[in-house]
Amino acid sequence: MIKISELEKIYRTEDVETVALNKLTFEVKEGEFVAVMGPSGCGKSTLLNIVGLLDDPDDGSFLFNGTEVAKYTERKRADLRKRNIGFVFQSFNLIDELTVFENVELPLIYLGVKAPERKTRVEFVLDKMQIMHRRNHYPQQLSGGQQQRVAVARAVVNNPKLILADEPTGNLDSSNGNEVMQLLTDLNEQGTTIIMVTHSEHDARYSHRIIRMLDGQTVMENIMV
Amino acid sequence: MIRNYFTVAFRNLLRNKQFSLINILGLALGIGVFLFIMQFVAFEWSTNRFSKNFDRLYRVNVQSKKGDAVYNVPPGYAPILKQQVPAIENYVRIADGIASGVVTYAAPTPIKDRTFREEQMIYVDGSFLQAFSFPLVAGTPTFSEPNTLALSETTSKKLFGTDNAIGKVLMVSNQFGNTPYTVRAVYKQPAASDVKAEILLSLQTLESKAARGGNDWADPSGLESGFVNIFLLLQKGADAKLVGSNITNLVKKANPGANDDTITLQPLSELHLAPSFSYPLQTYGSLLQVVVFFCVAVLILLIAWVNYINLSTAQATNRAKEVGVRKVLGASRSQLVVQYLAETFLLTLASVVVALVLVTLLQPYFNDFTGRQLALSVLNSGWFWIAGISLLLAGSLLSGSYVAFVLTAYKPISVMKGSVQSSVKGFSMRKGLVVFQFTISIVFIIATIILYNQLQYMKTEKLGMDLDQLVVIQGPTVTSEGQAARNVSFKNALGQLPFVKKYAASNNIPGQGYNFSAGGITSLSPQNGDDKKSYSMFICDERFFDTYGIQFAQGQTFSRNDAESSWNNVRKVIINEKAARELGFNTTENIIGKKIKWGETFEVIGVVKDYHHLSLREAIKPTIYLGSVSYGYFTLQTDTRDMGNKISAIKKLYSSTFPGNPFEYIFADERYDRQYASEQKLGNVFIAAACIAILIACLGLYGLAAFTARQRTKEIGIRKVLGASITSITTLLSKDFIILVIISIVIASPIAWWAMHSWLQDFAYQASISWWIFIVAGTMAIAIAWSTISFQAIKAARANPVKSLRSE
Repeated sequence: MIKISELEKIYRTEDVETVALNKLTFEVKEGEFVAVMGPSGCGKSTLLNIVGLLDDPDDGSFLFNGTEVAKYTERKRADLRKRNIGFVFQSFNLIDELTVFENVELPLIYLGVKAPERKTRVEFVLDKMQIMHRRNHYPQQLSGGQQQRVAVARAVVNNPKLILADEPTGNLDSSNGNEVMQLLTDLNEQGTTIIMVTHSEHDARYSHRIIRMLDGQTVMENIMV
Repeated sequence: MIRNYFTVAFRNLLRNKQFSLINILGLALGIGVFLFIMQFVAFEWSTNRFSKNFDRLYRVNVQSKKGDAVYNVPPGYAPILKQQVPAIENYVRIADGIASGVVTYAAPTPIKDRTFREEQMIYVDGSFLQAFSFPLVAGTPTFSEPNTLALSETTSKKLFGTDNAIGKVLMVSNQFGNTPYTVRAVYKQPAASDVKAEILLSLQTLESKAARGGNDWADPSGLESGFVNIFLLLQKGADAKLVGSNITNLVKKANPGANDDTITLQPLSELHLAPSFSYPLQTYGSLLQVVVFFCVAVLILLIAWVNYINLSTAQATNRAKEVGVRKVLGASRSQLVVQYLAETFLLTLASVVVALVLVTLLQPYFNDFTGRQLALSVLNSGWFWIAGISLLLAGSLLSGSYVAFVLTAYKPISVMKGSVQSSVKGFSMRKGLVVFQFTISIVFIIATIILYNQLQYMKTEKLGMDLDQLVVIQGPTVTSEGQAARNVSFKNALGQLPFVKKYAASNNIPGQGYNFSAGGITSLSPQNGDDKKSYSMFICDERFFDTYGIQFAQGQTFSRNDAESSWNNVRKVIINEKAARELGFNTTENIIGKKIKWGETFEVIGVVKDYHHLSLREAIKPTIYLGSVSYGYFTLQTDTRDMGNKISAIKKLYSSTFPGNPFEYIFADERYDRQYASEQKLGNVFIAAACIAILIACLGLYGLAAFTARQRTKEIGIRKVLGASITSITTLLSKDFIILVIISIVIASPIAWWAMHSWLQDFAYQASISWWIFIVAGTMAIAIAWSTISFQAIKAARANPVKSLRSE
């Protein structure tokens, strides 16, 4: 599904040049659950942003479902992204002014899905994530675990092929964290490919494969049994 | 999708109540003021436009090579021109200012007679109502026979209530005597008209020698004295310039003495507002005033909008996360641009609605303030809607564009993390806008102070006469046999009243004017060009100078006998020092007994010290005083105690001496101060403009201060942990803003100085623009700004540092 080779990303400020990704090569097959680990600043988040089509690489090749997307324009990337990729963030990134229902509905609006269908699909995922009873609440009225469940619901509502999770349990206590990890595992078992950036060895154990990064390169791969 | 936008927009407004309130209120205030001032501007612009013949009516102006344009021309030319110039379809002559007098309706018993003085009474040709398109309420549209008149609806109601006025007979007593007139028409006086009259008398009445009462200069067929405005209604498509030059040639042929004169036709469209500042012809409105007011309106609107832009961009960073999330979820940039522009458009629309409500509620106060009957409906015209809507769109675009275009251009990841690099640049733009706002506000403050300083100067400067405790009584207009004797007896009886200290009679009064102006007055050994000088002539009795406290430099006042025999018999004059110098006399030498020539020879018996007969806007005019028993105005001096009884005693005396004349009086100082009404009005407008500008700017500053305090919460927390005091943090937060205000003062001062220096050039006597004005204005601005900011700064400084650090 994802094939990255010789990928380079360099951040430049006036005086400093930081190499975030250094000729990184890396592949994810459809249906896989991959965890990316490594110390702060190793380039994990950069990798996730590029894979998530939020950022563009400076050099190298990025095949998404066999199509070269490294040189895609912002518009094309956005289009590809909204149809194929769901995101889960450490800080949930829910819109405070929207209710639970409205937050989850948002990706469908941008996909141009009609209102009656949106209602069905949103209610379906809310039910699945067991937060249906909170549908008219605002994010501030929810606990962290509930917020992350809303975020996961929002990530999966348009049935993406790929879910990118950036430290999804980072702001949660262990029991809420476990719940979220279970949700992700369930989704993976239903066929969704998942790439997750994490600091937590515990969370990483839910994945099929752990890629360890250092200084913008992959240094080790552990296949989980 | 749209619903979602509105939901978010609305919830955002609610969540940031303080910002939303400041935002909407500030903008609404600006728009409201703009609408008010635009009402005035639109009214001025629309004046005379109601006339169907707006583009075909022209006023005749005579431009002589030496002097100003003259628009009071001899009436006899009008029929001659119509006869000889085919392009002239018709003419209307208007004689303004000669008809005013007393109107009496001798009602059948048992109703009491109705009598009142009417200043707004004019002589016109009978075709006036049709030519100017004054709406007819009752009667016939033309009234061309002698002794007929038309009444305004208001006057008709005043006299007859709901009864039919047509056919009723009114007695008009004015300088031409007592003449009966029959009412032929009732019309509605349009508010936006330069020709204003409550009563229109048929000019044809004056064709009869008897009806002129010996005033043969007022013959409507006369070619000598100019006392009417002639309006020509040209044929469709006629070239006014060509007609003008045709008329010039005709006049030159008829009167070779008028060789230097050029006749121009002033279109009705240029009668109220000149098309340019250098327009040579007289207009009823002031283009300068309209332009100044318009600029004030635009500047206030700009301040309000800048506020709005400033606050919305300051808040934009709060929206960054939302922008990022939406992008990640698949929003295209154009979708986001539309969303945020729609949002600002909604906010702007809300402000417009609030502004409209404000304007509607405050309209009566505004009308009191301006002394005009204005309404929002004045603005209901195509150009205003187009301009208004484009302004609304442009404003929304400007204020929404930062969020819509700048924020959405960033990569979703960086906006979500809040690391938008442009915040520094954004802040410097904001600083620029604050400077802009405060510069305008400070210009308004300085202008207001200078304006009031000038007004105060004019009101308190020594006039060279004493108007305190002087009561002026309007002389009789309705006259009858033995009038002269009654005038003398009234004056003598006034002097007998126990509370009257001094008294006098004159044919005009200080603060109102002279009696006429005359040229061709010289000393017996004139210099070249002396005969071209113009002198103001004032007719009064021998007691006038003493009563008004006017000092003599040389000689003395008329003898009682001189005054009673009248100046054209005794040939003695009093002059002021200015006139003495103009005549070529040396004021340090004895002038008494010197002779001057004005057709006949007159002897100078007194020289009065120069005093300000009219407002300090005008230079003191060379004035010649002519002695006469006089009965235009009676002035008496008395202290203000028990005024009610004194006035009723005088009224009793007046009514018994001058039956049929309404008794009217005024205090001399009030009449004098009335000359400054337009400056007072301008001052009021500026004070209001300055207050509102400052208020809006402060609203913005308050919002910005709150925003900065919030942004710097972490910094404040760290500083406090490291031992900073509340004072030092308050200073830290206020300092930047105060610097901006100081920069504004530096920019505003020269602009204000220049503008007000130009304004003061209209005044012959000016208060100096001294340095303290700028210091006061600057201090005021800083004090106001500081008190606005300090509230937020102190609040931020007093917050618990642990809280602010934990929240980071």
